[in-house]
Amino acid sequence: MANIVLRDSGILVVALHGELDNHEANQIRAQISSAIFSGQVRAIIWDLERLGFMDSAGIGLILGRMRDLAPSNGETLILNPSPTMEKIFNFSGLGSNIRHCTVDVAIGEIGGVLHEQ
Amino acid sequence: MNNEMTLSFVAKEENEALARMAMTCFITPLDPTIEEISEFKTIVSEAVTNAIIHGYECDGKSLVTIHAVIEDHKVTMTVRDEGTGIFDVEQAMEPMFTTRPFMERSGMGFTIMESFSDHLSVESAMGSGTVVKFEKTFSPVTEVSRMR
Repeated sequence: MANIVLRDSGILVVALHGELDNHEANQIRAQISSAIFSGQVRAIIWDLERLGFMDSAGIGLILGRMRDLAPSNGETLILNPSPTMEKIFNFSGLGSNIRHCTVDVAIGEIGGVLHEQ
Repeated sequence: MNNEMTLSFVAKEENEALARMAMTCFITPLDPTIEEISEFKTIVSEAVTNAIIHGYECDGKSLVTIHAVIEDHKVTMTVRDEGTGIFDVEQAMEPMFTTRPFMERSGMGFTIMESFSDHLSVESAMGSGTVVKFEKTFSPVTEVSRMR
């Protein structure tokens, strides 16, 4: 399952839950893509803190959305993957997109507007 | 600890989760670490997804069969389909190679399966199907590793 929120600074935060395999990727791909194309999205933050499992379908999903963002040079950050997921990202050349931090810290890194709590 | 199992299911994407769940239960008595379980689940998922999507093009009727044996701490597993077959196994195993970029297949499946298993072999023939065989030995849990 994907919980998708567009923050007002144009940063799409996609929080994933459960198990991300080929079947699940096919279920949520259109939802994420349409959020990208309907908003003024300039970056995506994938929050994997609560994702229990991911295989190479997750790589396909994330690389595909990086392509959606390519025309606007949008940034992609991947937050808090499990050690196994982190290995998979490293095999796929996405290691430099990984951060271990909160969503707010990641938004700060991208240069979004952080509202005072 | 010795055990053996066979599981067959039709080529539907929904069955990827079934295969992962059943195989995780099967290896649980080996007392694997969380990371070992998660790497093993990933291997199962990649192999089964390949059989469903590439072997049978999700036809919903042909059977994918998993056979697995536990001998002491070693699991030997085969994932078999009698579908399309792989034209060039060596090429298919190259990182990022995919025949289905439009489906957003990343081409990383075999790289992941190779990295997360101790031994991987692939036998395939066009028109008669593919058998992927894995071996993975799980680390015996000792008092010391439990205390870490």
